[in-house]
Amino acid sequence: MRRLWLVAKHEYLKRVRQKSFLLLVIGIPVLIFGVGGISVMVTIGSGDGRPVGYVDRAGVLHPGLLTELAAKARSFTEFCAYGDEMDATTALEAGEIQAFYIVPEAYLTDGQLRLTYGERAPRESITQDFRVFLRGSLVARQPAEVRPVLADGFSLTVRSGDGRRELAYGQGIGFLVPFIATFFLYFAVMSAGGYLLQAVTDEKENRTMEILTTSVSPLQLMSGKALGLMGVSLTQILAWVGALVVAAVVGARFFEPLRALTVPWTMLGLAVLFFVPTFALIAGLMTTIGAAVTELQQAQQISGIINLLFVIPMFFVALIFSQPDSPFLVVLTLLPTSAFLTVLFRWSLTAIPAWQIVVSWLSLTCTALGSVWLAARVFRLGMLRYGQRLRLRTILEGLRRPRMVRKEVINENA
Amino acid sequence: MNPVVSVTSLSKYFGRFRAVKDVSFEVYRGEIFGLLGPNGAGKTTSIRMLLDIFAPDGGTVSVFGGNMTEAKKNRIGYLPEERGLYQDLGLEPTLLYLATLKGMVEADARRRLEEWLKRFDLYEHRAKKVQELSRGMQQKAQIIATLIHDPDLIIVDEPFSGLDPVNTRLVKEIIEVQRQAGKAVIMSTHQMYQVEAMCTRIVLINQGSTVLYGEVGQIKRDFAGNAVNLVGQGDFGDLPGVLEARRRNGAWHLTLDAGTSPQDIFHALAVRDDVRIERFEVAEPSLDDIFIHVVQQAGGVSSEARTYA
Repeated sequence: MRRLWLVAKHEYLKRVRQKSFLLLVIGIPVLIFGVGGISVMVTIGSGDGRPVGYVDRAGVLHPGLLTELAAKARSFTEFCAYGDEMDATTALEAGEIQAFYIVPEAYLTDGQLRLTYGERAPRESITQDFRVFLRGSLVARQPAEVRPVLADGFSLTVRSGDGRRELAYGQGIGFLVPFIATFFLYFAVMSAGGYLLQAVTDEKENRTMEILTTSVSPLQLMSGKALGLMGVSLTQILAWVGALVVAAVVGARFFEPLRALTVPWTMLGLAVLFFVPTFALIAGLMTTIGAAVTELQQAQQISGIINLLFVIPMFFVALIFSQPDSPFLVVLTLLPTSAFLTVLFRWSLTAIPAWQIVVSWLSLTCTALGSVWLAARVFRLGMLRYGQRLRLRTILEGLRRPRMVRKEVINENA
Repeated sequence: MNPVVSVTSLSKYFGRFRAVKDVSFEVYRGEIFGLLGPNGAGKTTSIRMLLDIFAPDGGTVSVFGGNMTEAKKNRIGYLPEERGLYQDLGLEPTLLYLATLKGMVEADARRRLEEWLKRFDLYEHRAKKVQELSRGMQQKAQIIATLIHDPDLIIVDEPFSGLDPVNTRLVKEIIEVQRQAGKAVIMSTHQMYQVEAMCTRIVLINQGSTVLYGEVGQIKRDFAGNAVNLVGQGDFGDLPGVLEARRRNGAWHLTLDAGTSPQDIFHALAVRDDVRIERFEVAEPSLDDIFIHVVQQAGGVSSEARTYA
């Protein structure tokens, strides 16, 4: 066990000290927030600070509500009322306002509004703010007891047939988790897969293999490498999640919707539960490839196909959103390579029966353990075949004739 | 005395190719044992089976009195022929990693590493990446990796390749010190004069099979009848029964065929007037000669092993 940890520590430190790792950990958040920041600054910079007028011919708007809305949201648009369209037009031409809405008499029957602007069309957020103002005014006309329901709509809770799983719509940021998980899977896990390929082919190429194999067993070596590189991936993910949290906290000071976010802890727990065996499966498959071929380039070509197996659910996002319980998606849930993303996507959209989650996790975990075992065996077969590719037949023969059995036969004969 | 290593009737096949067949030998504490053979003879495969890297297809291997275990691996130092180090890592962390994998506590490994680095004049280079070191320096670093954990069994495959004469002598001295300390050393090399100077006993493998096994001195004495050394004036190359005549620094070395004895040559020379003998002696053949002779004699046909107690 000590050797396994030594290998894991060695792999971890070797990778995190590389410049490319630091670039990935720091560079990706910087890139995302840089692009995001530029977009926000461009949006804010392009905004027109002048108020927006309105003419309420239908008599539905409650100006008193504006003070309340402005207190709730710091960046709420300033609206000012005009008696008729002529006054509003004069103010617009004088540059006092950037645009004005007309609420016609027939608004309550046909729902039509009109917007007139000067040089440039106002930002989308202004229309959103006016919608909030208008909806709030309409709700204010109703009895107090029905106002919250009218304002917030409904809250839907979906329960699975076996009653073990509930899903509440419209709460938190659950729907974002699968997308974030996909992002992490692509950048963190796949880069670790690349590291694993490199780790195995490197040791074959620089001839450190033979020294290592007289100190550690292939299983210890493979498991240690997988563990160390999982640590690398988790460090990457934690750094990125940390950056997201910081961004959310900072962003919440400026953007109202961010303040309403709640963290879907159950879903995050599920993501971690599926992430670990998924990573082990990727590690096992990548190492098997790395051990079987001679050059990193060959390994990368084959691993590209393996990567696709893990992101299959992304090709069926439309189906996941429209029919999250379709039999095809149940199959993807139970399939080890696609389980991670499918479960996360479906979790945010439907109530997955508990048996599917249990069977999916068990099949994923068993396959992952099998893949690490396979990797160790193929690694043993291929580790000293410098410059020689392992043939499928050799691999199958090696798997059919387990080493320990052969040893026992030899000892018995002796 | 119980052997540290005991190999009995070892066999290994790669597909249909027979890499090793029926190889047996024993290695004891306090000896340097030579594992010899031409390229592709099966030496490295035998070592790998001994180290449990390959599983044998037949025969048994006993190390420290039994099967190989993880704990026993800590008592073995191995310098493989196909060797290398992590090129993109520093010298010190690389050697520390390899030492801790052999069961050393990091603090002890660090202390002992300092001693070894100073001994090999590598201390000043400890912070450098391995790829920045010369080939000879890398070779010395790998010898440190082999010995740093003070193993009881040391297996070195071509330990002198890539070393200059000064460092070759240093490594020879270190191996001899290990032998004197009671360690068992298995040395595989093509440099026969090194084997002659250092090894107590040898096994010669050819085409996967043992063809010679025993004490170096005894082997040389046994092969001695086939050659004479001569110093004198005249041409000694045309004598009957001489397979090969080599002249070096005024001295002749005559290799005789199997049916000719040194006594026959002595008689033949005594009746000749065209030569003058200043010195005549029965030559002990070099291991180099024995090696070539045995391997050529074996040819493509497997031969019976000759054992010298």
